[in-house]
Amino acid sequence: MNKMLLLTKSHFRKNKGTSVGLVSLMLIAAMLLSLSLVVLFDAYPMARKEAERLDSGDGFFRISEGIDGLTDEKIEEIIEDDVSRYYIYRCLNYITQVPFADGTITANAQIYDDRAFSKEMGNSEIVTEDTSITSDYIYLPYQFYTSGGVDVGDQFVLEIQGKKYDLTVRGFLTTPYFGCNNSGSYEFVLDDDTYSGMVSVDGAPECILVIYELKDGVEESRFGIRVNNDIVTVAPYVNFQQMPVESVISNRTFISLIIVISFLVLSGVVLLVVLFMLTSSISNYIRENIKMLGALKAIGYTSSDIRVSVTLLFLMLSCIGAIGGIVLSYALLPFFAQMSIAQMGIPYSISFLPVPTLIVFSSIVLFTAIVVSVVLIRISKIEPIVALRSGIESHSFRKNHVRLDKTSMGLDMSLAMKTMFFNIKQNIITFIVVGIMVFLCTLGLLMYENFSVHPKVDMLTFEYCGGIAAFDHETAEDAREFLEEQEGVSNVRNMIMVYFYYGDEDKLMTYVIDDLSALNNVNVCFEGRLPLYDNEIAVSGKFASAHGIKVGDTIPMSYGDETFDYLITGFIQTTNNGGKEAYMSARAASRITDLSNAPAYYYFDTETETEEEVDRILTKCEDKYGEHMISKMNFYGIIAGSLTTFKSVATTMLVSMCVISVLVILLVMFLLVKALILNKRKDYGIFKAIGFTSGNLVLQTALSFTPSIVISVILSSILSYCYANKFMNLIMGAFGIVKSRFDIPIPGVVMIAIGMILISFLLAIFESRKVKRIEAYTLLVAE
Amino acid sequence: MNNIIETKKLCKTYSTGGVQQHVLRNIDLEIRKGDFTILMGPSGAGKSTLLYALSGMDKPTLGEIRFCDEDITKKNSDQLALFRRKHCGFVFQQTYLVDSMSVMDNVLSAGFLADNDRKSVITKAREVLKSVDLDEELWDKFPTQISGGEAQRAGIARALINKPDMVFADEPTGALNSKTGKDVLDALTRFNKDGQSIIMVTHDIVSARRGNRILYLKDGEIAGELDLGRYVSGDKERHTALRDFLGGMGW
Repeated sequence: MNKMLLLTKSHFRKNKGTSVGLVSLMLIAAMLLSLSLVVLFDAYPMARKEAERLDSGDGFFRISEGIDGLTDEKIEEIIEDDVSRYYIYRCLNYITQVPFADGTITANAQIYDDRAFSKEMGNSEIVTEDTSITSDYIYLPYQFYTSGGVDVGDQFVLEIQGKKYDLTVRGFLTTPYFGCNNSGSYEFVLDDDTYSGMVSVDGAPECILVIYELKDGVEESRFGIRVNNDIVTVAPYVNFQQMPVESVISNRTFISLIIVISFLVLSGVVLLVVLFMLTSSISNYIRENIKMLGALKAIGYTSSDIRVSVTLLFLMLSCIGAIGGIVLSYALLPFFAQMSIAQMGIPYSISFLPVPTLIVFSSIVLFTAIVVSVVLIRISKIEPIVALRSGIESHSFRKNHVRLDKTSMGLDMSLAMKTMFFNIKQNIITFIVVGIMVFLCTLGLLMYENFSVHPKVDMLTFEYCGGIAAFDHETAEDAREFLEEQEGVSNVRNMIMVYFYYGDEDKLMTYVIDDLSALNNVNVCFEGRLPLYDNEIAVSGKFASAHGIKVGDTIPMSYGDETFDYLITGFIQTTNNGGKEAYMSARAASRITDLSNAPAYYYFDTETETEEEVDRILTKCEDKYGEHMISKMNFYGIIAGSLTTFKSVATTMLVSMCVISVLVILLVMFLLVKALILNKRKDYGIFKAIGFTSGNLVLQTALSFTPSIVISVILSSILSYCYANKFMNLIMGAFGIVKSRFDIPIPGVVMIAIGMILISFLLAIFESRKVKRIEAYTLLVAE
Repeated sequence: MNNIIETKKLCKTYSTGGVQQHVLRNIDLEIRKGDFTILMGPSGAGKSTLLYALSGMDKPTLGEIRFCDEDITKKNSDQLALFRRKHCGFVFQQTYLVDSMSVMDNVLSAGFLADNDRKSVITKAREVLKSVDLDEELWDKFPTQISGGEAQRAGIARALINKPDMVFADEPTGALNSKTGKDVLDALTRFNKDGQSIIMVTHDIVSARRGNRILYLKDGEIAGELDLGRYVSGDKERHTALRDFLGGMGW
């Protein structure tokens, strides 16, 4: 073993620079892998752990509007056959806008008092509080602290039924169901006096919440459908919403998954680069040390001795890289885990995770071992006598590329082109690596542009507008006329959301719209068309693929006891409601439900498209209709607030992609240029002897990589522009986006392309400066 | 003033592991234009060191070298490279053609360094390749595809394309057999007769006979000098004079 270590040490001494470059690449790969795995293994499951810790059960359903006469006993009677445990309570439920980060956020608010902290199931728990605040206080979900910019002691305005409550934030709470904007509901816990005051108001929006745990074998969706149908028979005008805990967890972990997927893709890419560079470095190593290898064989070392010693070196490097990457990932983890957790709104502290660490370490080391073992097979083929005579000719000059007597290029450029053909394998590696990096940066740009700079609201919501004003059915018609009369208001359309059921198998959140042609978001339909007639429906692609449904099929949809076979006219894409949604006209919906007593949710556009203009119109409606106006939303404010986390993730992704790209290109150029200079040092010595300056040779070396860089950047920019959306489909497919139409700003792509060419060229120049160290005389004398 | 190169107190010392080795000691030398100067001496005498110091490829430790009236010891490595491309041509023992370039490209790569006129350089390359008796069919071959003698003649063509003030030849026949070595020496002799100044290091008495001035180096100093120019009448006389000179030097 000693002789192996001696040999390994000797290999290391001869390859210090290459070793450092490879270790750095492995370190980046290990860091990204470790980051993604730690987020996947620790931060990502936090939502589930928290749900289990707070005894979430299997889900909840909320019954609101028209619940008079619906008693707890009746609900118990309906559910008791299917549930092993349940907890029923009543509180207020109101859709309102609350301040969040840079804007506002639409909160489907569960409003309750201190009893929220003593629920028998799905309990809420205080994370932090200031008990010195004793009146007019509110507990907010922890997400308001982690990403909403709110702190204990801050003032918080809660607007319910047109009345504003000025409250002090007493603390933050964690809850299994109502703590994250992605899952749609927030729980606000008020002091007893404020809460009693709200409840005592006429028409207070009371709701019934039922948290349940199903008996073994009971299917969640069938249970929900049956319960809904049974409840509708008792209270026909209720709004019934069921939310399984799995859906809440999935919604809460949306950002974490994006981070995990992005970093896994990145680490895969860097590992691919490591593969290229390992292969290239080992080939160079064999070429450079062919005489030494021959000598070792001549004095009795076997091929396997030499292979083991070289493998040991690379395994040691991979160990160093893996450990360094893991350590670095833990240093960066607070930032990335915080980003992931902030969106979930769950208290979290970082701890060392042995399993992901072990996986990362063994993956990097195993990956290196496999690659090195395969590449080193070549050593067995080296005959000592041939090696001692440097007999391995690695280049066959069959074709004289760029003949100097024929070309019109300058001397430096011509010689650079010759070097490029000489170095064609390394140029192919450069081509691939730079191409991949451009693609990654373009993806980062896409995310930044569509989530941060110009949020692609038509991809993220079912419909976009200026504002939404909701009225009860008594004032709905009058309010519509009033709204349409307002200056600057246009395109008023009524859209309500109702759960319709697909037999007893599944349910679809259905947007029932009075005039589908008035929708702004026509892109929501990615195949076929939106419904026109009263027997048509458009369903989400995710739902369709789950049930093997095609455009042109008919599907039975039901509500209560009523069922109708609807013709599917098209598929829509959505990230909401687990990707299970549908569109139909009000006339079509009236075939299975009576919507005459339903409230109206008027979506409207404004001429100036500003938050202030929408606020002005909503205030006028509120002044006129008072408590008959049951909800209002300023869409521009909602977008600003809802996208806070997305913006931060998108910006981080763009920065991460660019930084990692530059680092990877830096290391790749370092290794490739170093290898090139080593391979060509004799030629460079000759060139220097006959009068080429170091500047000539530096330029030639850097220029030799330029065609592959430029062609790669141009091709990959075009391909990225054309196919980035298709790639996003793969990532976003799980969330319901089937056909991405994210904008990719051409100036941004051009900037990435120019930046990448400049950076690569400058790095090539920087690395090529090593040519200066070659002295013609030393080389000639040494030879 | 007919000297191309003049040296004053030229010293070169190598320091290895704290041990100093004086390879050149206070050499005062003048190399005349048009001479075919031969550097001879035992191994380790400092012949190649002197050759590469004079050509600006290596820097002396002390002393001055004036080459075409320029003090090249004051130049940095890039300035020396620019100087070499204009004033120097090199013929090495190992040929040192660039393997990845054809014979023609090897010659042109040197030619284009000194002259931007493409047509003129290509014409000169053709002429010089013809003048070293290299068949046209070999011009597009790579160095590994031709014989050692052909490669060395290609090396001479590369050295001469820019019509340098001085050709430095470091044992140009050392790796060749006698026949191909003779062809190479014939080519050098021809160019010298046409006025080309040459300094050549050699161990070979037959090669040295081609020179008109023999400098014998011993322990880093010029131990003796022979003016072979007086013996132009015949090879035999030159050979005898040279043999006697070398014998006197302890060769």
